[in-house]
Amino acid sequence: MERTNHTAAFPEHRRLRCDHSLLLRHTIVAFSWLVFAVSSALGQQKPTDFQVKAAYLYNFGRFVEWPTKVTAAQGEPFTVCVLGQDPFGPTLDATLAGERIGGRSVVARRISSPQESEHCQILFLSPTEGSHVSKIIEVVDKKAVLTVSDMPQFAERGGMIQFVLDGNRVRFEVNLTATQHAGLTLSSELLKVATTVRRDPLPGD
Amino acid sequence: MLNIKNYSISKKLTWMNMLVSGVALLLACAAFFAYDLYTFRIGIAHNLSTEAQIIGSNTVSAIVFNDSHAAENTLSALKASPNILYAAIYTPDGDTFSAYWRDNGGKALPLPAIPTGQTQAHWLVDGQMALVQSIVFQGKLTGFVYLRSDLRAIDGRLKSYAVIAATVLLISLVVALLISRISQRVISEPVVQLAQTVRIVSHEKNYSIRAVPTGHRDEVSTLIESVNEMLEQIQQRDSALQQAHDELEHRVQERTAQLAVANRELDLRNREVERATQMKSKFLASMSHELRTPLNAIVGFSDLLAEQTAGQLNDKQKRFVNHIKQGSAHLLQLINDILDLSKIEAGQLELRCEAFQVSDALPEVLSTIRPLAMAKHIAVQHKLGTDLPVYADRVRFKQILYNLLSNAVKFTPKDGRIDIDCYQTRDAVCISVADTGIGIRAEDQKLVFEEFRQVEGSNANAHQGTGLGLAITKRLVEQQGGSISLESEIGKGSRFTVTLPSGREASSASPPPAVAAPLAPAVAISRIKPLVLIVDDEFSARELLASYLDPDYRIATAESGVEALEKAKQLHPDVITLDVLMAKGSGFETLVGLRKDPETAKLPIIILSIVDQKEVGFALGATDYLVKPIRKPALLETIQKYVPTQVDDDSAILLVDDDPKTLELLQEALRSAGYETQSVQSGARALEVLSSKLVGAVLLDLLMPGMDGFQVIRHIRQEESLRELPIFVMTAKNLTSEEMDLLSRETQGFFQKHAPWQKQLLAEIARVTHGGRRAKGAGQG
Repeated sequence: MERTNHTAAFPEHRRLRCDHSLLLRHTIVAFSWLVFAVSSALGQQKPTDFQVKAAYLYNFGRFVEWPTKVTAAQGEPFTVCVLGQDPFGPTLDATLAGERIGGRSVVARRISSPQESEHCQILFLSPTEGSHVSKIIEVVDKKAVLTVSDMPQFAERGGMIQFVLDGNRVRFEVNLTATQHAGLTLSSELLKVATTVRRDPLPGD
Repeated sequence: MLNIKNYSISKKLTWMNMLVSGVALLLACAAFFAYDLYTFRIGIAHNLSTEAQIIGSNTVSAIVFNDSHAAENTLSALKASPNILYAAIYTPDGDTFSAYWRDNGGKALPLPAIPTGQTQAHWLVDGQMALVQSIVFQGKLTGFVYLRSDLRAIDGRLKSYAVIAATVLLISLVVALLISRISQRVISEPVVQLAQTVRIVSHEKNYSIRAVPTGHRDEVSTLIESVNEMLEQIQQRDSALQQAHDELEHRVQERTAQLAVANRELDLRNREVERATQMKSKFLASMSHELRTPLNAIVGFSDLLAEQTAGQLNDKQKRFVNHIKQGSAHLLQLINDILDLSKIEAGQLELRCEAFQVSDALPEVLSTIRPLAMAKHIAVQHKLGTDLPVYADRVRFKQILYNLLSNAVKFTPKDGRIDIDCYQTRDAVCISVADTGIGIRAEDQKLVFEEFRQVEGSNANAHQGTGLGLAITKRLVEQQGGSISLESEIGKGSRFTVTLPSGREASSASPPPAVAAPLAPAVAISRIKPLVLIVDDEFSARELLASYLDPDYRIATAESGVEALEKAKQLHPDVITLDVLMAKGSGFETLVGLRKDPETAKLPIIILSIVDQKEVGFALGATDYLVKPIRKPALLETIQKYVPTQVDDDSAILLVDDDPKTLELLQEALRSAGYETQSVQSGARALEVLSSKLVGAVLLDLLMPGMDGFQVIRHIRQEESLRELPIFVMTAKNLTSEEMDLLSRETQGFFQKHAPWQKQLLAEIARVTHGGRRAKGAGQG
């Protein structure tokens, strides 16, 4: 008799549990659909200039060869530093998350002084630092740090890559003299897509 | 091509060479072509892939930094490759980044999917080769290159290939043809020559021709050698055959010459033999007449003497007459047998086969045999079916039966028994005669059928026979398409079985009238024959009495007194003969019984007994009393006394014969039977008598000087008033079948002097003359 009761009771439990899981699944499906719809709506939106610039920062890392002493520091992440007031916000971190360059993971760091650029491979100079660009460049000179900025005349002033707007499109200029001086080798591919490649003599030389 | 089987060997070889080389070349070309096509296509794909990779690596930065212009520049460099129809760069998402058309045409194509896990895929579409190459930069999928190339290169290659293949094929075939033309001579020419040689040999039959050897050492030369060897052998055999043939022909000629001589000799001998046969026939004919006529007189007169019609004889005389009778009868039998045998051997025996019942022929033979059997107290019994037709010559059939039965009687001791058994097999009739005689030893069983053979050691009776009976019997049976067999055990008896064709098959053939059979009388006789009831317990005794009475009386029989009383009441016989010593009661009781019954009280009853108790018999009411053994004439005479016979006409019988002794014999026989007779010695005289006097019948001899019997018959039948006059012919002549036919047609019966004729003659005459027999005191012959 008892056995019969047990077996009779068992499907009751199961049905209850099934109902729970079904409900849960429905909820998840509905939620995911919502998330997907939102994100796809966001994705379809034209990327902002800073999103593009963040992606370019990462891609520069792929087309530039750093001297071997820098790249030999294995185990350390490839670091993209932002000096000054950060114009990217979370966009940069989102862009770099999960990417790898030369087998190393890529991270973003915010620094407040050029002296902190010791472990940086790429240094983005916020437009807020425009007043003392030359000083910063002097600090990072010969440290094999690729300097990038979107402030005007950055390349003329000794910066390596300067974002420029060509209509709606974000493009960049390259100061080949500066990069060669810092011991960095830029891929011809990168040069091919640059708007301008400067080969100016170094200021102060 | 369809009739390639009938081509000559050289053509076949050429064809074969061409076919083989052609097929081989075609196959080779096809294989090369297929392989080249395959590798070429792979090459194209490889080239395309290389190109795609170059494009990919050249456009990585353009994609990465979204510089479609740079990509376009890169793609436009493809103008240098005329085969590339279309090229395009796609972002990793599959969006077209940059596109290039060789002919400046159209929109960008959508990116085809490539299988996951592969960086490249190529396929054929619309006669073009399509290739998708993923662009990977630093381990990261950066975009896709899509190329489409036309296959004009392949088409061109195909065309040039076809031209080359055709040229190679053509040249190879021509070369193969030339080579086969030259090489086949080595093989086919000797074969062709051999074939020609063989044809000539078989056509001209000239086996001296030889095939020419090739001088090589191959199968063909072996074949030629073998053929030559064969021809050699054939030639040898041919000449041997020819020699044998010539020899044979020579021998045949020799033999033919010998044969011709032998033939001439044979012809001469044949003629001699023919002459001798003719002489023998003549001799036989004259023998039959010349020997039988005087012998007939001896037999007849000794019979008459013995029956004491010419006066009483004393015992000695009786004995002497009996010796004469027996001796002459034996001599007559011997002469008849020898004549029969001679006729059979000379092939002159004429058989007149017909279908008739055995039961028609048997009683007559039995009536002759029974007296002989009775004398030795031998019981003769027969089992005879009613319907047992046999196809045979009636006279000869009786002779066969008579021979077998007399043989059986001869070799069966006193108180023995003879059984006759007749039965039908599928298509034959078997008649067996079994006796309880001395038997025949196994080694002698074949000899008994040979002429003049008698089994040695047999008793004195054996010598009574001529030794010809069984030999004649065997030949007669065989000549009628039958067979005879013998089973015998010494001391127990013998059984002769004759098998003759059944008359059932032959019954459709209308049987011609028999020789000595009673013929239908021309004058109808309405008189009913008197009925005699024979009462005797012994079968053979009844049979004997019946045979005595046969033609003149109707017979009824009874085995016992009781049966006799019944039948007497039932049938009202004219006379009853009664035995006394019977197994079931005495005949005297039966006599008393018959006399008591008013219906039978007045019947004449004649007692026939072995015991002589006449006083008792007469006292009990017997009409007459005879003591056994009873002689036939005595019985007939006695019965005659009590049977009322009608006597109408007393017409005389005219006897015609040139032999006075025969005339006297006939006269005596007929007169003693109660007939008036008149004798004349020539045919002419007979016709004179007939023209002036009315006679009851004519008894006519055939062989007479002057007018013979046939002429007399013709004259009588021409006379209107004499057309129905009964004529009987009595002759010693051997009748031919035509003569028999004539006699059957024109006369009422004919008798041959060598056969027992008296009784039958009297019976026949009695039938046609309204019973002219009169009871007389004198004995009857």
